[in-house]
Amino acid sequence: MSYVDVNGKQIEVDEDGFICDPDLWNEEIVRCFARLEGVDELTDDHWKVIHYLRGYYRQFGIAPMIRKLCKETGFNLQRIYELFPSGPAKGACKLAGLPKPTGCV
Amino acid sequence: MPRVPVKDFGSDTPVLSPLEPERLTQLPADAEPRAPMPPRDAWLEKYDFSLDGFSALGLPLPKTAEEEERIVSGFLRGLAKLFTRENNWAFLLPTALSTDYCMRCNTCNAACGVYEASGRQDVYRPNFRSELLRRIYRRYFSPQGKLLGKWTGAPELNWRVVYRLAELAYRCTLCRRCAGVCPVGVDNGLLCRELRKLFSMEMGIAPAALHKSGTVRHLATGAGTGMKPAAFLDNLEFIEEIIEEKTGKRIRIPVDKKGAEILLVHNSGEYLSWPENPAAFAIVFDAAGIDWTLSSASMGYEAVNYGLWYDDVQYARIAMAQVEAARRLGVKKIVVGECGHATKAIVTIADRLLSGDLRIPRESCLPLLEEIVAGGRVRLDPWRNDFPVTLHDPCNMVRLMGIVSPQRNILTRILPPGRFREMPSNGTENYCCGGGSGFAIMDAYNFPEWRNRVASRKKAQQVLTAFGDCLDPSVPKYYCAPCSNCKGAAREALMDCYRFRERYNILYGGLVELIANAMAELPGPFLSWETEF
Repeated sequence: MSYVDVNGKQIEVDEDGFICDPDLWNEEIVRCFARLEGVDELTDDHWKVIHYLRGYYRQFGIAPMIRKLCKETGFNLQRIYELFPSGPAKGACKLAGLPKPTGCV
Repeated sequence: MPRVPVKDFGSDTPVLSPLEPERLTQLPADAEPRAPMPPRDAWLEKYDFSLDGFSALGLPLPKTAEEEERIVSGFLRGLAKLFTRENNWAFLLPTALSTDYCMRCNTCNAACGVYEASGRQDVYRPNFRSELLRRIYRRYFSPQGKLLGKWTGAPELNWRVVYRLAELAYRCTLCRRCAGVCPVGVDNGLLCRELRKLFSMEMGIAPAALHKSGTVRHLATGAGTGMKPAAFLDNLEFIEEIIEEKTGKRIRIPVDKKGAEILLVHNSGEYLSWPENPAAFAIVFDAAGIDWTLSSASMGYEAVNYGLWYDDVQYARIAMAQVEAARRLGVKKIVVGECGHATKAIVTIADRLLSGDLRIPRESCLPLLEEIVAGGRVRLDPWRNDFPVTLHDPCNMVRLMGIVSPQRNILTRILPPGRFREMPSNGTENYCCGGGSGFAIMDAYNFPEWRNRVASRKKAQQVLTAFGDCLDPSVPKYYCAPCSNCKGAAREALMDCYRFRERYNILYGGLVELIANAMAELPGPFLSWETEF
C-alpha cells in the first residue's frame, strides 16, 4: 500500500492508485487524483460521470456496467475515454473514489 | 537457452531466469507489442521478483533470519500434508502417483504453450516444476533422501526456493495439455495446483485477485464481483431493456421460479462486462420455449469458483453454497453458462462433495444449446453471420471434460458454408487463451505484462493463423470464445496488448451471441460491430 498527499493529508491507496477507504472520498481528493490521471480540468461532464458512479456505488456497493454508465450519463464510450484517458474503470471509477473493480469483469 | 539446474533453484542470483523478450516465439512484426516493462523500483525494494523478474503474488521480502526460517518451515509442514490421507483425501492418489511415476521422457514439455512461447525457457517446463517438487519431497521426507542430502539433486531449502516455487506455481495456466500427452498419465497440472494449494492453505500465500478480492469477497457478498442481489436485479432490468432495444420485444427474464426445469447460472462478470451474453441466452431460451430460471439468491447467480485454482476449502465452501441455492429453488438441473472453470468446478469436481438431496444434475450449456439449434427449436438464418469465425476451445470444458462437438455442430448450422475455420490445434489439443487458472483477472504488479506476452502468445499466433487468408481489416472477423475467462484474456491480451481489433478488425465474443445473431425472427443483427458493449 502507498499514500497520496492531498493538501497535507495522507490518503491510503492500493498499488493501482485506487482509494482504500471509499468513505474518505471528497472533492479535494478528486482534484488531486485528476492530476495524477492526466485530467487537466474537471468540467461539468467529468462531474456528471463522477456523481453518477458515486451514487451507484453508494446504492449497490459496486461499479455499474459500462453500458449503463453510458446510457445514464448520455456519453458514449469514446466520450468517456476523452474525459478519462485511463478509461471508465481505471480512470473514472478511481476519481469517483470507488475501490478497484475486481472479479471476472 | 541456458539450463537452470534444479539443484541451483535457491541460488542467490538476483533474478534466476530473466525473461528474454528476443527469445519469445515470432509473431508478425506488426502484431508484436512493446517489450514488457521492468518492475518499478518501489516494488523491487519490497517484493520478491527473483524467479524471472515478474511477480504474481507480491511476496514481501523477509527482513530477519526468523522470517526466513518461518517461510521454510511453513513450506515443509504444508508439503508433508499434501502426502497424508487425513490432510489431502481428495487428491492424495493422483498427487502421489504423479510424483512417483514420471519417466523423465519430457514429452510434456513439448506440449506446453507457455514453455514454447517463452522460447523454451527452462524454468517454465511442466516437468521442471514437478521435478523440483519430487526432489524436495524425497530429500526431506524419505529415509534415503535424508541420508543423501544434496546428492538427491534437490536444492537446499531456503526462502528463495520457497518463494520462487510459489511464483512458479503461477507460471502455469493449469491447461493440462501436458497431462494429455504423458505416456504414463502423470499430471503436471495437478501437481502445480497442489503446490498452489499448499501455499494458500498452509502459508496464506495466494494472489489477491483470487483470494482476498476473489473467494473471500464471493463468500461475503454472494458473488466474486461483489455484486449483491439488489445490484443483480437492477442489472437484469437493464438487460431486459437491451433486449427490447435489439429485438423490439420485451422479455421477462424468469427469476427465482420454483421447480423450473433449469437453473441457469452465469459467471457474474458477464452481467457487468458482457451483458450481451446473458441477454442472448434469454432471447434464445425464450424463443425455444425452455423452462428456465435465474436465481437472485446470494451465491445463486454466480457460477465462478476461484477455489478450483488454488484452495480446496474455499472451493468447497463456494460449491456447497451454490448447489444449496439450487436445491432451495427445487430446480431439476443446474446449467452453467459460458464459463469454463465454473463448469468444471460444479459439474465434475463437486461430485466429490455432494450427497443426498444436493446431488442435483449439473451440466454445461453447450449440449443444451446444440439441442436447441440442431433440433430446430429456433428459426435460423445462417447468412446473418456472413463473416469468418474461428473457435476457441476453453480447456476446462473441452480438453478436461470432453465437450468437443456441440459447439461445432452449432457453428456449422448458424454460419454460411465455409465461414467457420478451425485453429491449427483444436478440440482437445487446443491451447489455453493465456487467462486460465485465474490469470485473466490477476493484474497485480507486472504480472499482466508476462501473461499477455508469454501465456497468451500461443493463442495470438493461432488466431492469426486461423484468419491468415483474411487479415485485412476490411473483413470483419469473429473470435468465438464460449468462456468468460477466455473473453477476459482476449480483451486484455489479444485486444489491448496485441491490438487485434485495430490492426485486423477481429471482434471477440461468446457463442450464444452468434446464435442470437442468426435468429431469423429478430428484426436486425444482434451483434454490434461498431460499439463495444
